[in-house]
Amino acid sequence: MYSRKTVIQNPTGLHARPASEFISCANKFESKISLIKFPEEEKVNAKSIVMLLSLAMGPGTEVEITAKGSDEVDAVDTLVALIESRFGE
Amino acid sequence: MCNKFKANPVSEGISIGETFHFCPYVPNVVEKQISEDDIQNALLQYENAQNKAKEELKLLQSHLKDDDSNKARIFDAHLDILFDAAMDEDIRDEIDDLNNPAFAVNKVYEKYIRIIGKSKDELIAERVADIRDVKNRLLRCLEGVEERNLAELQKPVVIVAYDLLPSDTATLDKNKVLAIITEVGGPTSHSAIIARSYEIPALLGLENAMNIITDQTEVIVDAVDGEIILCPTAEEKEEYSKKREKFLIKQKETKQYISQEAKSTDGTKIDVEINLGSASSNELQGGCQYTDGVGLFRTEFIYMGRPDLPTEDEQFEIYKKVLLVFKNSPVTIRTLDIGGDKKLDSMELPVEENPFLGNRALRLCLSNPQIFKTQLRACLRASVFGNLWLMFPMVGSLDDVRAAKKALQEAKDELDNENIPYNKDMKFGVMIEIPSIALLADMVAKEVDFVSIGTNDLTQYTMAADRMNPAVNKYYQSNNPAIYRLINYVTKEFKKQGKDVCVCGEMGGNKLSAPVLVGMGIRRLSMGLASVASVKKVINNLSIPQMEELASQVCQMETDKEIVDYLSEKLSDLI
Repeated sequence: MYSRKTVIQNPTGLHARPASEFISCANKFESKISLIKFPEEEKVNAKSIVMLLSLAMGPGTEVEITAKGSDEVDAVDTLVALIESRFGE
Repeated sequence: MCNKFKANPVSEGISIGETFHFCPYVPNVVEKQISEDDIQNALLQYENAQNKAKEELKLLQSHLKDDDSNKARIFDAHLDILFDAAMDEDIRDEIDDLNNPAFAVNKVYEKYIRIIGKSKDELIAERVADIRDVKNRLLRCLEGVEERNLAELQKPVVIVAYDLLPSDTATLDKNKVLAIITEVGGPTSHSAIIARSYEIPALLGLENAMNIITDQTEVIVDAVDGEIILCPTAEEKEEYSKKREKFLIKQKETKQYISQEAKSTDGTKIDVEINLGSASSNELQGGCQYTDGVGLFRTEFIYMGRPDLPTEDEQFEIYKKVLLVFKNSPVTIRTLDIGGDKKLDSMELPVEENPFLGNRALRLCLSNPQIFKTQLRACLRASVFGNLWLMFPMVGSLDDVRAAKKALQEAKDELDNENIPYNKDMKFGVMIEIPSIALLADMVAKEVDFVSIGTNDLTQYTMAADRMNPAVNKYYQSNNPAIYRLINYVTKEFKKQGKDVCVCGEMGGNKLSAPVLVGMGIRRLSMGLASVASVKKVINNLSIPQMEELASQVCQMETDKEIVDYLSEKLSDLI
């Protein structure tokens, strides 16, 4: 298992297009990936757009991405980099 | 039976035409146990339905892309939902547990609809419409029923429906839809957004519309004043045709102004700002695009409709989000303004004989220092992320101004001790809502950096007329010369000392009063997004001397009616 924390920085937050980009990226990996939102520590399946939306993550939200599986390190690093790229906003 | 009905206009316009009842596919889900041997087959049925639904969505999208990529994106969202990892897994599990595919789909989608529907974020809660839409599509594909939509209407009609799902509205032939009436839906619902973007007049939230508005019946839809007239008389039709013509001409003119800068004909820039009542992306986006900042950020929504009080961190996140969106433009946060007509679930407030004259707003905060401190700390912490101006409502005396200042200083001292950064130059202001503080403007100006005039409460307190009580409606006169004189006095005293005055009440966004306020010397007006274009239009067609003339005239007039008549006549070409 491998995990990393980051902070959502793009102005829209993890909604709409960024959320869609996020899950389509997550779905490219074999590993089971979850996302934890802080400070509530709510944990959801990071491949599910519906669950991601339910967390209502705006800019400034701290999140942790955890993956378990053959490509866990690659999955977490890629997703963290995607968040930190601010989805091109 | 012919009749008149009221409903909520969410997309302005006026239409006359024949009604058309739209009854979309209604899923009929039966619970059936399947046998172990059927599991593979059932999974295959589900996958086939998923693929059929995907094909339909792609087809819808291909029709759309040319004329509107924004709407095509709705279907991208639908594709995401259709193949959502968590829902897909749950549905397969349900089928494995020997449930028939339709029942499994329905059960799982309803579960996720409940999860999303609970979201405090209004925009996310409204995603429920998308999930339900995908659910119906999937169930229909499972049943093998063909899609029914609004793409092929025979002639222009007024659509009457229980609700319109995004896929219904997105495929509709906009040239054949005169207006939309639905039983459910608010101003931020999908139907409303699409209706506005197509400029189709829409009235939503008319209870029982499918029963009271009969099919194939002539109807007038007035989505300006929110009225529906079924089986209109010839005179009514004539009257509303004229109203429609006027509306269309005016709408076209006014629209051009929203993206312009507000500037008098002789070149004085007026800051037009937005009043925010939430931090939804819709409001933030429009505000950011068309205004010069936030003149009033009402913070009550953070506290309302929840059993507990919001934490400092929760508030901090919301303030920070808004500040980041508006970058260097001012964001004027008003501290908690409850009591009076606004109640909280998390706080038991005693019943008062005269709540508007009671323990409300700043008074309530001063008597609950812990709640107040939490908000002040959250604001201070957020202040490093943008241009935060902080203001206090319901100030009646210099004692109040100083008490607010003291509370703020205490919060600052705490943060200093904890080494938490905040903007030391954050602007401090109060609202002018009580006549007593208006009359002390010369002294207040020495104590604060700015004031914002809340004309709704100022009118209510000056005229001694409860604005919530319809029986005294005629005594609540916002164009009474007394109000203009008070505003004029406050403005002059603040200008003398080189300090800022903003108007954030109804009068600031009103086409008649806005130019008068500018004429008095006010250079900041804050309003709802819906008023921005019409206020810019009035200002951009008048010079400062013309507006000064309006201001000096109204201060010499005797009654509300005299002023309204005078302004309506003077500004008749612009409103």
